Amino acid sequence: MTLSLTDPTWYPIASSDDLPFRHVYQGQLLGRELAVWRADDGNVNVWENRCLHRGVRLSIGVNEGGELKCQYHGWRYANRSAGCTYIPAHPADAPARRIQNRTYPVREAYGLIWSAANDDQVFQPFPGAEGNDWFPLRPMPVNAAPEDVLAALASLAPDDQPADLLPGLTLHFGDTYYFVQPVDAGRSVIRGLLSAQPDSATLRHCNETLSKLRDRVERAAAKKPAPEPLNPAFEKVSAELSTMPEIAVPRGNTLTVVVKRKWTSADGVIGFELAPRDGHLPTFQPGAHIDLHLPNGLIRQYSITNGPGDLMSYIIGVKQESASKGGSKVLVESVREGDLLSISEPRNNFPLRRDATRTVLIAGGIGITPLLSMARFLDKSSLNYELHYFTRAGDVAFRSELEALNGKVIFHTGLPREQIGSTIASALGEWSLAQHVYVCGPSAMLETVRATAASQGWPEASIHFEYFKNDKVIDNSSAFEVELARSAMTLQIPSGKTILEVMRDNGLTVPSSCEQGACGTCLTTVMEGEVDHQDVYLNDSEKRSNTCMMTCVSRAKSARLVLDI
Amino acid sequence: MAITLYDFELSGNCYKLRLLMSALKLRYDIVPVDFYPGRQHKADWFLRMNPFGQLPVLKDDDLILSDSGAILAYLARKYDEASLWFPDDPAVTAEILRWHSVADDITATSSAARLALGYGYDFDIAKTQKGAHRIFRLMDEHLWFGEREGRDWLCSPAHPTTADIACFPYVMLSEEGGVGREDYPALRRWTDRVRRIPGFVVMSGIFPAGRAL
Repeated sequence: MTLSLTDPTWYPIASSDDLPFRHVYQGQLLGRELAVWRADDGNVNVWENRCLHRGVRLSIGVNEGGELKCQYHGWRYANRSAGCTYIPAHPADAPARRIQNRTYPVREAYGLIWSAANDDQVFQPFPGAEGNDWFPLRPMPVNAAPEDVLAALASLAPDDQPADLLPGLTLHFGDTYYFVQPVDAGRSVIRGLLSAQPDSATLRHCNETLSKLRDRVERAAAKKPAPEPLNPAFEKVSAELSTMPEIAVPRGNTLTVVVKRKWTSADGVIGFELAPRDGHLPTFQPGAHIDLHLPNGLIRQYSITNGPGDLMSYIIGVKQESASKGGSKVLVESVREGDLLSISEPRNNFPLRRDATRTVLIAGGIGITPLLSMARFLDKSSLNYELHYFTRAGDVAFRSELEALNGKVIFHTGLPREQIGSTIASALGEWSLAQHVYVCGPSAMLETVRATAASQGWPEASIHFEYFKNDKVIDNSSAFEVELARSAMTLQIPSGKTILEVMRDNGLTVPSSCEQGACGTCLTTVMEGEVDHQDVYLNDSEKRSNTCMMTCVSRAKSARLVLDI
Repeated sequence: MAITLYDFELSGNCYKLRLLMSALKLRYDIVPVDFYPGRQHKADWFLRMNPFGQLPVLKDDDLILSDSGAILAYLARKYDEASLWFPDDPAVTAEILRWHSVADDITATSSAARLALGYGYDFDIAKTQKGAHRIFRLMDEHLWFGEREGRDWLCSPAHPTTADIACFPYVMLSEEGGVGREDYPALRRWTDRVRRIPGFVVMSGIFPAGRAL
């Protein structure tokens, strides 16, 4: 029998007990090295055993519970998707590039972890699997070809009860099943399953029998020429990966999700749990949002509140405002559990640095949603943070989720207006190196935090904010010319139309989301010309630099702009 | 009390002492010895302290000690007030010394393979690697049954002893000698536990484990 790299058979690759809390197990199947780890939610991940960055084994990495961190340069990958969530060398950027490690199918059953080289076969229990309390024996690695190991196992069966050979390098006699894991052409692991919980003498006896068998098979194998090892191909990863420009996600690229749960979290805040119809949702980073396509045709942005590696559903919070323009109103009033909705892939314009010595998170009202996600990520990585949550009198949204955190979470409920400023000032304190503040909430509160932080010595680069909306009155009266340097096009922007709209009219696909200068999705590099900034996404020094702009609301003061599009 | 460690940064045997002294919160001075490429451990001044010409050497006031296992026992007996790292119980002492001896075998195999591959030593690489695998198989078996019996460490006490420290470094550094540990899952789990001992410090080639709270 020759082993094939494309063999679709499910083989056991570990015992369940091999994956204790926060451990990374090193395995191998059909020549491919695997990093196997159990997340805190119980999910078992089977990934190619190398970091996409420099190829270092992920099996020496750190299991942080929801993410796996590479030991070399600290790249983090999400539970389930294996998508990259953080690159420490680019702490201020979201790795929105589609960096995703190779995953393999996995099932946990009968005390064993099963995997396969590909998805071609559905997992099938072995005959007689059901109805027993299986106990996995100590795995026995053998430096010999899988078929030789299987033959030797068959010889253990008593003469009057020959072994029952089953597909997938499996055999069975008495009350024991033996599976041979084909590690490579010349290497195997024997994984035995007993149909009942054994006493310790039985365990020792089985171990002794298999050890002797191993020694015998290895002596025979040493006399034969070693088989040629399998030679799996590795997909090349670009060396420029970490500096590549972001791949724009076209606006039309949506996913369908089911409203799995809808509940009232606090007065005026409704929680929605959005689940995929099968599998898991895409990787997201803390601070990320999705576009939600509403039944009435409107598109609205909502932050993901989830913690690391939590991809079985996204949870968002929606505030029903009386002044709602029909966005949250339709969600709250007409969307029910079981309904299908379209969402965009997650996008992150509010990325969280994880190299701060102190992180201050300040939330006002429904602005808690991105900060809850950030707090959960910092929590799992045991990083230092303080979360200040300002709400009006009454109930507090996501209270139980916040109380489950280990970090410092301070509720400021129903503070009189004059106390809010001083509370923010003392929450921030004086700035020192590598401190960062993240704030999300009503515009007035953001302005207070930004001004207070600035007056207490916080540099602009340490103040990170996300506005819900742009309250400014947009002046779109100017008319000017835009040259798109990469596309070699020149467009005339008349008054009353945005740069974004004119680019779309001319057939260009450009990413955008809120289209009111708040979310940051349409951020564009400016090469020449003077920008008339009208957004609330860029900070003042970014605006002064005149090197970037939001094409959805901002315009030109000069007659001509040259953009890097 | 003034402790001085004659130390080579990349030596697993010196690291054993740094590890225990960190766990015991002991202060000490370091005198670097250029083992490679300077071969200072064969210099006259060093041989006067340890005629065997081996690292580490530890000076405690006027007392000069050599051999990592012996020094581990000394430090634990002298400075561990709780008597956990090297308990008095005769049976446990025998257990620990048994594993100190395994640690020397690991040095003779796994560390020798590393010296051959990385430091130009003329050792039989295939033989030392094979020897390391033989020991690791036995350790994996010992530790797997230990987990079933509620024993997390090499010896029977419910806490680590100098046996764990003595065996740890050249297990962790085995890949530098071309000896993988993929076939020894219980041994790998034990290295996670050692790396979570309060006061654990790293050395070049040995990464910390994540928290498991």
